[in-house]
Order: sequence, then C-alpha cells, then structure tokens
Amino acid sequence: MRFKHFMTAALMAGIAYGAGMADAVAQDAPTRLVGGFDVGPGGFPNNVNPLLATTGYMALTLAYEPLVIYDEKIEKVIGRLADSFEIAPDGLTYTFKLSPEAKWHDGEAFTSKDVAFTLDLARNNASGSVYVARLATITDVATPDDRTVVLTLSQPNSSLLDTLTKLMMLPEHKLASIPADTLARNEYWITEPVGTGAFRFKQYSPNQFIEYEAFADYRRGKPKIDQLVNRYFKTPAAAVAALKAGEIAVSYVEADDVTNFQSDDAFRVIEGKSQVVNYLGFNFAAKIWDDQRVRAAVMYALDRKTIVEQLYGGKATVANCGYTAERLVPSDLEAYDYNPDKARELLKEAGWDQINGAKPISVLTYYNNDQSNNVVAAMQAMLAQVGINIAPRVADMAGYNAVIYAKPIDPSQFQLVYAGLTNGPNPGNLNIGLNGAQIPPNGSNYTRVDIPAVSEAFNAGLKQTTAEGMDKSYRDVCSAMNKELPWATLWETKRYGVESVKLKNMNWQPAPGGGPYEMHQETWELEGN
Amino acid sequence: MTLYLVRRFAAGILLLLALSMLVFFLLRLAPGDPISSYIDPMASMTEADMERLRQSLGLDQPLPFQYVYWLGEALSGDLGRSLQRNGQPVLDLLSTSIGPSMLLMLTGSTLAIIFGVIIGIVGAVRRDGPVDLTLAALSSLGVSSPAFLTSLVGLYVFSGVLQWAPAGGMQDPGMPFTVSGLLKHLALPALILAFGQTALIARYMRSSLLEVLHQDYIRTARAKGVPGRMVILKHAVRNALLPVVTLIGSTLGLAVGGAIFIESVFNWPGMGLLMVTAVEARDYPLIMGGTLMVGAWVILANIMTDVAYAFIDPRIKVG
Repeated sequence: MRFKHFMTAALMAGIAYGAGMADAVAQDAPTRLVGGFDVGPGGFPNNVNPLLATTGYMALTLAYEPLVIYDEKIEKVIGRLADSFEIAPDGLTYTFKLSPEAKWHDGEAFTSKDVAFTLDLARNNASGSVYVARLATITDVATPDDRTVVLTLSQPNSSLLDTLTKLMMLPEHKLASIPADTLARNEYWITEPVGTGAFRFKQYSPNQFIEYEAFADYRRGKPKIDQLVNRYFKTPAAAVAALKAGEIAVSYVEADDVTNFQSDDAFRVIEGKSQVVNYLGFNFAAKIWDDQRVRAAVMYALDRKTIVEQLYGGKATVANCGYTAERLVPSDLEAYDYNPDKARELLKEAGWDQINGAKPISVLTYYNNDQSNNVVAAMQAMLAQVGINIAPRVADMAGYNAVIYAKPIDPSQFQLVYAGLTNGPNPGNLNIGLNGAQIPPNGSNYTRVDIPAVSEAFNAGLKQTTAEGMDKSYRDVCSAMNKELPWATLWETKRYGVESVKLKNMNWQPAPGGGPYEMHQETWELEGN
Repeated sequence: MTLYLVRRFAAGILLLLALSMLVFFLLRLAPGDPISSYIDPMASMTEADMERLRQSLGLDQPLPFQYVYWLGEALSGDLGRSLQRNGQPVLDLLSTSIGPSMLLMLTGSTLAIIFGVIIGIVGAVRRDGPVDLTLAALSSLGVSSPAFLTSLVGLYVFSGVLQWAPAGGMQDPGMPFTVSGLLKHLALPALILAFGQTALIARYMRSSLLEVLHQDYIRTARAKGVPGRMVILKHAVRNALLPVVTLIGSTLGLAVGGAIFIESVFNWPGMGLLMVTAVEARDYPLIMGGTLMVGAWVILANIMTDVAYAFIDPRIKVG
C-alpha cells in the first residue's frame, strides 16, 4: 500500500515537473517562422545580391531596406529608410531626410554616405547592377549632412521613385574595399551580408534555405519572430505539399492549387492582380510584322475571351493595351473582338502570302507550366485558322535570355515571343520593353519596337511630375499601343498566395516581382509557435 | 584480376575524357553568349565591360584552347569556380553535394535490392498465385512509372495529404542536425527511388529463379530429400542471382538519372539538384565538373558489377 502511495506521489510529481518544464520550454522557445518567400514568379531563389534583383523583393526586404517603398496597398510610395522626401516642382531635385535611428546589423550607423555609395554602385556597370539604365537621369548625389541626400536629375523621371523602391541600401563600410567588378558574385553576400532590415542574416544553405534572426536593435522595434527561414522549393508542388503539411506558413501558389486550400480552415487564400501583362511580342527585326494590318490580324485571330474563360477559369482580364487599371484605359479603345474573317481579310490586304505565308513562325517563351502550354496550343490553333503558322519553343530563363540578347541577333530564332512585363504599380515600367530608346544595348526592348507614337507617349509620361499628369500620359500610351500594336496584348492574370491562419499581421500581396511594399516585418506573429 | 582492373580503369578514364569533350563542345553549341550566364542580361553592361569579363574568364580564346586549358586545370585538381554561386570553387560544391547524393542513391538501391530480391523469390515460389499476381501488378506499375511522376505523386500523397514525411530538404531548415531528422527526410525520397528499381529487380529475379527451379540439379536436390526452403535459398537463389547482379549494376547507373528528378522534387541537396540548377543557369564550370563526377560514378558502378559477378560465379574468369 505504501509503495502504491509512493508511486502515485512520484507520478504526480513527475507530471507536475513535466508540465513545468514544458511551460518553461514554451516560454523560452524562440518563435520560428518558415515560409516560401521566393516561390513562384515573384521569387528569385538563391539570389543574395540586391544589385542583381529583378524579382524576389519579398525575400530581400527581410534583411534589406530601400529608401522608399510602396504602401500596404501598393498604390503610393512612402518613406522607409527615408523618414520623408520632397520632389521639387520642376521634378529635377529629390531631397530625402533619413531616419536618425537606422542602424546596420553590425551596429554601425546608417548615413547619407551609405546612400551615395549605394547609388554610385547601382549606376556602375562593372558591379553588374540591373539599375544602371533606370538611374541614368541622376547627375549628382549630394550629402550635405549625415541625414540628408539630394539627387539632381538631368530631366524629370516619373519612374525614379519606383526604381528607388527596388534599390536596397548597402553598407559602405563593408563593401567599399571590394572591387566593383568582383562584387556581382562575391562570397560576401553569403557569408557576412549586412542590411538594416528587421531580420539579420544567419546562414545560407544553397538550394535549401536562408536563415535569419531577429535584429534586436531594429529601429521600428524588435521583431516578434525570433527565427525566420526562407525555404527554397524547386517546384511549386513541393511548396504546396509543405504548406499542407504545416512545414511552411506562407507561399505563392499556382491558380490550379488554390482549390486545395479554399475549403481548408487552416489557410487563408489571397487573390490579386498580377500587375503583369502577357503579350505576343512581335520581333520587328524579323521584318514580317512591319505592316500594322498583319499585327491587327493577329489580334482579331485570337479569341482571348474564350481563353480567359476556359483556360484561366475567368481568373484573368483581357488587355487591349499594356494596362488594365481603369484609370489608365481610355473608353474608346478598339476591343479587337474575335473575328477570324476580318483577320483573314487584313492579311490578304497586307499581302501576307508574300510576306511570310504558311512558313512556320518561331514563338519563344519562358512560360513552361501546363496552363501556359495549353494557352500556347490554343493560340497556335486559332492563328492557324487564319493562315499564321506558329511554332512554339519553350526555353528556360537563361536560354530565353541567351536567344533574345544574342550578338548578333538572329531574328529567325524568335519571330514572336510569348512573355509578360510588369505594368504596375508605376505604369512607366513598360517603358523598358517598348520605347525605341531602350533597344539593346541601351535597354531591354529586345523585340526592337521602334514606333514613334509609342516612344513619344512614354517619353511624355516619364517627364510628368504629378499623378494626374502621369495618368493622362499613360492613357496616351495605352491608346498608342492599342492603335499601333507593338505587341498583341493578351491579358493580365490573377495570382494567389496562401498563408496559415496562425500567421498574423503579414500583408501578403501578389506584387510584381514580389514587391517591395510595406509588410511591417517586425509585427509578424505566428500563433501557437 | 589486377590486370583486368587496370584495363577497365584505363578504359574508364578514356571514356571520361571523351565525355568531358562531348559535354564541353555541346554546351558551347547552345545558343547565346556564355557571358550571359555570368551577368544578368538585364544589366546594361557596355561592350567594353563584356569584353573585359569575357577575357578574364578565358571565353575569348578558341574553343579547343579553352578545352585544353580546362582539362589541364582539372587534372591539377582545379575544376574552376561556379559562375552563379558566388564564385565558389566547383570542387567544393561537388564535394558537399556528393555525400547527400550517395546517401540517397545507396539507400534507395539497397532498399531496392532487398525488396526486389525478396519479392522476386516470393513471386517465383508462389507462381501465378494471388501474391504473385499482386506483386506482378506492383512491379508493372513500378517499371512503367517515371521517377518524376512517382516523386510528385509520392510528395503529394505522403507529405501533403497523409503528412507522414517532410516535404523535401535533408533536415529541418534552420534547426540543429540530428540523425533522426536526417532519416525522417531520407525515407520518402529513398523509397521512391527504390520503387522503380525494386520492380525491375523483382521481375528479373522472378524469371531467373523460375528458370533455375526447372534445372536438373534442383530436381536432384529435391529427390535427395533436401528441404524445399534449403533448395531454394541455398541452391536456386545463388544461381538465379547472376543475371540480377548484372541488372543491379546497371540500375546503379540508372539511379543517377532517377536521383536527378527526385532530388529536384524533394530539394535534396545532392548532385542532381546541383546539376539541374547549374544547367538552368548555364553554369558551365559546374556542369562540366558535375558531369565528370556523375560519369565517374557510373563507370565505377559498372566495374564493381563486373567484379561482383566474378565473385558470385567462380566459373567466370575476368582478365
């Protein structure tokens, strides 16, 4: 009997001790968030150099910050490392007042010298920076004191703030000793990178993950998440499985996977416009698209509404120019409704038989999922109906770039491209692909569009200094695109993100390139962690 | 035997040389400028910058010269530096990837050999019975299912739906390494890799054993009163294993192909994933180094098979 009492007491003590330990462990356990921040078209897995970033800003802004950033709704540019900024009425001077509390992760103060250093690096071809052309209007960077930066421009540039939202500030004290021409792939980026963001780099495991820890001295308050892991996935299917299994709390998902989560109470599905317009880009170097009637025939031959309804399940908006935002689309655009008879008529008038006839036309694309393959097949069938014989060719991104930037260019390799380009939040983003001044090597107008009406409309838009002026100019761009057809504009699809309901305060948006926009990383919480 | 091995290794080295030459020139036949893999083509580099970079990477030299230079460096142990991975030495990247790949392939192959042989024996002994038919159906499924399909289905079912296994990686990201964590992550990709190989081995084992079971010496053993189990395990299986060993040798080579898909789907940090990302990024030095490594593995596996063959069947003389 005594033994039984002893055992009972021991068991009770054990349970109490275990509960206490569990409680203590729970109190001391670090809050850990694992997410797929680089999954999908907004991601750039394994890119650790902000100067090379064309996408992947959601991940980059975990550790780095730009001077200015888009607000939570991705509508307006607000200060980030800059507490405030002013643009002179003539649009030629930008003055930024920096946050006095901002610090680098190694404790050094963030100053205007760092801003000047970053801008110099970003405008230096040798660094491999992708921002050189976009910052070309800056003629001077002055730093009258540690907290003030003044940019002087050669001409107004309404896209400058948008570019600055993507340019992450870099530390002069860490990078000044590294030659610019060795910086692009330097080991610095994976061994000791330093930023000013809410999370500090801890370790990088190639193709696996990047681990961060909370930056205790972050000026907006110590993050509530102690340990953050950005996990890489080679296939979106693996990210979906990890989401379902609760291994990650947030990720981009493809439209086909959304139904997996919509009926699951453990997840929230977030839907939004991709802000990327898809198009068939006419390669003007191929010399078969010079006649506008031929380009119009392509538009009339494509039943875009049916493709949107049947292949995208209605989750896309037909685009009759490069924009779909209402404020940028004039009401009197030609709708190019499906009309194969008219397409045939236009081709006949233009003498298509003499220009190309039934010869196969190479269509290069980097889109390579089932949905895109079906879309390309549908377009192939529709164009064949009117006598345009396209031959799709899928390439990976490196292969795609190798073909479009080949020197000398071989137009027979890509008489058409099926691609997409960011059309927001700043409508000037389309400029790089459509302005005659951006034909390589000056920019990335690789389909060699050189239509004066289109280029002039963009030039006017870039010089605007007010929101109203910009909207008016880009409506003109839209009209010019709709009339001249530098591209056969197709649609703007929707994109989806899924997050665990346990995740609080994360403002996930399907932003082009993954952002950057105000996500308040320091406020993120994960319940039950 | 020693002379045989020397000859096989010499032939293997020549084969590797031919392979490296083939891959080198095929890579250069791919469209575009190799320089585009070093710098993002969106970067507006001037022609002079590009030329300087081309010179610094030796890409301005004639192709045969580039190959000979690469070969000389490779023979001295320097496989170059990765273009995409922050200039890390290729040898370092390969040496950190080969361990996980070997672990996955050897675990998968070991499981496949064990399961394949057992299933083959059971199928032959219980020929045309319900067990044999079920195993035959499973074998057909295994043989006809490509690795990328079984990987995706396995990932969806066992990780996404049933949540029995982690959805990729080799350990919980950002957590301290543990053996149990490694085994937990290894189980599903290794079983999926084993699935196809098991099916092949089982089919070969079954048909080979059925053939042996009709031999006179088996009948004699039975007539002498040797217990059935002994007849099968001691007399029949050993002889039936001969063609299976040859198959196992070739499946070790096939495992490399399967592992490339499986590593990609499961984000397993091995040679397969490294090679896929290298190819996507046109990382020429890494592709060359990886091809050499994989080629060496396949050749070595074939030599090992021949040696094992000689050990199993004393009648076979090599050399």
